[in-house]
Amino acid sequence: MTTFLTTPREWPAILTGRVAALAADPSDLDTATRAGAFEGLRRAVRDLGRTGTIATVAASGLRGRGGAGFPTGEKWRAAATRPATERYVVANGYGADPAVRTDATLLATDPWGVVEGLAIAAFAVGATEAIIAVRADDAALVTLLEGAVLAAEEAGFLGDDVLGSGSRISMTVRPVQGAYMLGEETVLLKALAGRRGQPEQRPPYPAERGLFEKPTVVNNVQTLAAVPWIVREGGPAYAAIGAKASPGTILVQLRGPEGGGIAEVPLGTPLRELVRLTGGLGTRSLKALLVGGPTGGLLPADLIDTPYEYDALREVGAHVGSGSIVVADDRACVVDLARLLTKFSADEACGKTIPCRIGLRRLYEIGDRVATGRPKPTDMALMADLAHDVAASGLCEHERLATLPFTSGMRYFRSELDDHLLRSTCPAGVCHPIAVGAAATPGPG
Amino acid sequence: MSLVPGMGIVRGMGLTLKRFFQPKATIRYPEVRADVAPKFRGRLQLLYDEWGTLKCETCFQCAQACPIECIDMGGIDTKGRFHVHWGPPETYGERREESAVRRSGRPVADAAFRRFDPVDTSALDEIMERHDYDPKALLAMLEETQAEYGYLPVGALKHISRVTGAWYAYIYGTASYYRHLRLEPPMIETVPAAGEAHVAIEQSYRSALDASLGYAVRGS
Ligand SMILES: Cc1cc2nc3c(=O)[nH]c(=O)nc-3n(C[C@H](O)[C@H](O)[C@H](O)COP(=O)(O)O)c2cc1C
Ligand code: SF4
Ligand code: FES
Repeated sequence: MTTFLTTPREWPAILTGRVAALAADPSDLDTATRAGAFEGLRRAVRDLGRTGTIATVAASGLRGRGGAGFPTGEKWRAAATRPATERYVVANGYGADPAVRTDATLLATDPWGVVEGLAIAAFAVGATEAIIAVRADDAALVTLLEGAVLAAEEAGFLGDDVLGSGSRISMTVRPVQGAYMLGEETVLLKALAGRRGQPEQRPPYPAERGLFEKPTVVNNVQTLAAVPWIVREGGPAYAAIGAKASPGTILVQLRGPEGGGIAEVPLGTPLRELVRLTGGLGTRSLKALLVGGPTGGLLPADLIDTPYEYDALREVGAHVGSGSIVVADDRACVVDLARLLTKFSADEACGKTIPCRIGLRRLYEIGDRVATGRPKPTDMALMADLAHDVAASGLCEHERLATLPFTSGMRYFRSELDDHLLRSTCPAGVCHPIAVGAAATPGPG
Repeated sequence: MSLVPGMGIVRGMGLTLKRFFQPKATIRYPEVRADVAPKFRGRLQLLYDEWGTLKCETCFQCAQACPIECIDMGGIDTKGRFHVHWGPPETYGERREESAVRRSGRPVADAAFRRFDPVDTSALDEIMERHDYDPKALLAMLEETQAEYGYLPVGALKHISRVTGAWYAYIYGTASYYRHLRLEPPMIETVPAAGEAHVAIEQSYRSALDASLGYAVRGS
């Protein structure tokens, strides 16, 4: 079982607060309720009511942890106020980034936070059907969650009469598999409806027209796990944690030369401290930070004081994305790294829009030409043009973000790209058959 | 046939004489260009860029748009598989073999292509019954069909289409999208574990990332 990294004592543990108590048996409902589980649901149902619950979540300033950072209260309100005969809530626990285990770890160490958060969401928006979507390959997790849902139902937290309020919430666990894009909300809803997993144009957002054309709230599991705490302690208490425009905590997957792991960190923490959590750089020097997973941006060492928070990261050309932060030291080559990430994004593109399907592949091919010493003279201009066009014609977020490795590479590591292009050298000595180091092409003089 | 001998040649010469006084059709190309009907598309020609790379992206847009279906195309899909129908399945699937012979005189070149053999549908009927013949449960139906037959035979997809009323293209679209579903029998008969098709890809991404970062031994 993955453990969490030790973080400074003063950092709040909102998502991982019950993990120690549940360590012996995460599936034990009694231990969980003794540690405060379902108190939030009780308060929502008995004291706050539907609109009060939504107002509390809105006041907390909670933003979606699925990557885009959309205000959760607003999303719930949109779904709740839309006239409909049926509404759905979906917990997105797919965890698309292959190198990130945060959501799965959260579900495995404390499934109750997500079950309770999803129940509160269902109650608040007036949904009777709640779905937890997880990966089919983690059979143990599917079993754990199914057990948790059953136990919560028997205890009266779910089912036909939630805590004696007369509301009905029926929760199911749905394993899905077979594509990276399943993490994207409209794709996930397509999979749940048995359809081809290609994104839909938004708007209309799922909150207006989602699963089976009904208003649907899709939230990341971390977003939902924060909700019980917020309902219990109140919106302002949560808003006081972390960054002003992005309050609260988030689970990050850290990776550096000296180690890494998962940690719960307040949003707005400078990247420098996150690098420190991985164990630092040892004797090596920092080259770049890959922030946001396969579609993340490559940030140079002098941006290490950027706060880890939605808006600040977007501004510098990265994003929260999957919550992954990878430290690249002097052994890594930016071209090689961006090429690899772009290839992954191109391979995983669903193929619905042509600039995404073909543009990303061409972007990878240009990167590949540059890395292997066969660039065409116009390649840098072509790459910039193409990246712009792909991002501008995006149907889904994947397409808009997948160009970030190369665009941030061109923005911050231009000299390294030029070394490849004009001098056929790879300063890091990674790319072949380009000559290693400066001793490559004989100069004119 | 004329009764008067020599009448044919007189008529012929008459036409020549008539044309002689008509206005000339010659235009001084390239200074002057003829009007071209707006529907004229010219000759289909694939262009190369200045470095000799074929410009065609195999995007199927032209094959899909072509009203008389004169464009055929084979290609590799985004997942690196070559079993794609020529053109979109909606347009081409059923007539593929017939059109290949008609147009090129040769059968379909794609080795993975199989005829649409009918299958024993009794197991399939049970599966659909379990899901109340509801296309909303299509993914589950397809997963169970694959568990039953080892793959998704086209005959089975057609049967599902006929019985549930869902379009064949809709079913084919779902079946061909998910990595764990397959449209051909596997080379080696094993039952894959849940999610296996994707897990291998994720593993290779992780090790490639490690290699690129220098955290692991670099491959070639
Ligand atoms: C390519 C792609 C992959 C995504 N993968 C995930 C994922 O694995 N888990 C997740 O919660 N959201 C993922 N998202 C974001 C979802 O589309 C959606 O924004 C999110 O689930 C909404 O929940 P939130 O408001 O709580 O963030 C992904 C988006 C894209 C474009
Ligand atoms: S397949 Fe696409 S790129 Fe190729 S000729 Fe047709 S329309 Fe053009
Ligand atoms: S991933 Fe489907 S259009 Fe980009």
